[in-house]
Amino acid sequence: MKASTIFTVIALVGLVGLVPTASYSAHDDVPDPAQIARGAKAWAEQCGRCHNIRSPSELTDEEWLVSTTHMRVRGNIPGNVIRDIQAFLRSSNKKE
Amino acid sequence: MTHKRKLFSAVCLIVFVAAMAALPTHSAWSQEPTNKQLLERIEALEAELRQLRDLLLANKETAEQAKERAEAAETKALEATKTAQAVKSKSSYPSIPDTIWHLAGYATAGAEFRTKADEWEFGGLQFNPGFHFQYKDLVIFEAELEIEVEEDGETEFELEYSHFDILLHDYATLVVGKYLSPVGQFQERLHPSWINKLSNAPAGFHHDGAQPASEVGVQLRGGVPIGERSTLTYVFAIGNGPRMGHEGNPEFEGFGGDDNKNKAFGGRIAILPVPYLEIGGSFWKGKLEGIEGPGDLLPTSAFAKVWGVDAAFTRNAFDMRFEYLKNTRGPINSFDEDHGEVEMLEKLSLEAWYAQIAYRLPQLGNASFTEKLEPVFRYGEFRVEGSHHLEEQAHRRYNIGLNYWMAPSAVARVGLEIRRFFEEEIANETLIQLQVAYGF
Ligand code: HEC
Repeated sequence: MKASTIFTVIALVGLVGLVPTASYSAHDDVPDPAQIARGAKAWAEQCGRCHNIRSPSELTDEEWLVSTTHMRVRGNIPGNVIRDIQAFLRSSNKKE
Repeated sequence: MTHKRKLFSAVCLIVFVAAMAALPTHSAWSQEPTNKQLLERIEALEAELRQLRDLLLANKETAEQAKERAEAAETKALEATKTAQAVKSKSSYPSIPDTIWHLAGYATAGAEFRTKADEWEFGGLQFNPGFHFQYKDLVIFEAELEIEVEEDGETEFELEYSHFDILLHDYATLVVGKYLSPVGQFQERLHPSWINKLSNAPAGFHHDGAQPASEVGVQLRGGVPIGERSTLTYVFAIGNGPRMGHEGNPEFEGFGGDDNKNKAFGGRIAILPVPYLEIGGSFWKGKLEGIEGPGDLLPTSAFAKVWGVDAAFTRNAFDMRFEYLKNTRGPINSFDEDHGEVEMLEKLSLEAWYAQIAYRLPQLGNASFTEKLEPVFRYGEFRVEGSHHLEEQAHRRYNIGLNYWMAPSAVARVGLEIRRFFEEEIANETLIQLQVAYGF
């Protein structure tokens, strides 16, 4: 396949992706209890797939935000699932 | 009598009266009512209708009042929630800055006994600091260094990966930079020592094996939920592509430049029917240029192709994995340093696979100690066809290990490894491995 064709396809798909489909408000959202519950379940199901499940108390809110976003990319986990997990972690990890 | 009943009877009455009025009155035996009687009936009906109208009006009023009251209550509830949220966000969720970062990575140290050397050696020293910087939920930059102490005391320094992840939307991220190869599962997700269940990579999954290491280019990747429990994940990637190694093997080592006009491309698609089962398929294809040397004969080019399948089952105390990769390169003319001339290299095929099972022991009796133990077994093969030098490395590998988990990401492990080479003249080898690994 020609490189230019591949580039075009990737660029097109990427552009389609630029149309925002969800709000990215993990930074200022306040989690509601239903989201925390969903997050706890997703945490248990997703975060032990590649390595041992880490303890919520290992990192601060901020560090968890970075690390879970890192895992969203590495683990191909949908963004909404990651936001639920972040909500769960904020409610259960150690406070600064 | 309830309102409904009254209304119903009234309607019935009206309909009845109307019907009666419409009916031709030729019944021979009906008694003709007197005018007075009719008048009385009409008056009675009128009175009833008036009553009904009043009732209806009263009802309407109450409904409107109730609606108003409900609306007022709702506004109040909303205000209350808002205030509560403001208070809550001030107290338990300290405001988070736009840029946040995290220092991560892992470190490894160990010792090994090899029957061939017949001595113990300290080694396997590695420090892999990882850096992650995130701007809101828009972009994250991640990089990892690999700092390794070599046998000769030199420190080797390598940029393992360094890329931007632009979060396009929930199901797509654009990755730009040097990234770990998305082909298969070992390289991208299992190789860090605190994740790997044993001290080293399976046969053929190390550098110079069948597994591509990294690439410089772009990726589009993400996960799309399908229904309640399933997910489809994808990685489409393109990059500078592989280069010829000195043994004629394609090297997929994330070259920062391209030696031809052809870009390598491929990726991985996986399905998780349930979160604890993942089945993936990978593909990668790139063009190789033969190494140029002195003389008239020119090198030619050939394609290097990799395909593979992988599976992971991670449920409760079990962690089971399987991975198969086949890496082939077509015939190619390339400069051979040993013979000082351009040589025609035949088709090369590298094949590697492993199956691994790890089981985290339960608590036995009162001893919580056993919960920290995880026995591991792995069997793998690395097969080579088409390069004498590489064929010498082809072998079966048996591993038995025991992990002692001090923390979810800190482990001390001991392992036994047996290598049985396919070439008969190469002696088999046994290794005893000790390792400490910590991911942070
Ligand atoms: C697809 C496999 C995979 C999944 C799923 C996964 N991780 Fe990871 N995780 C990794 C790998 C690989 C690393 C090591 C990254 C490195 O060193 O390059 C890692 C590293 C980490 C780290 C160390 C800090 C860092 O960010 O590198 C933490 C903490 C972590 N993961 C937590 C999680 C959580 C929480 C989840 C669930 C949302 C999760 N992981 C899901 C593969 C995975």
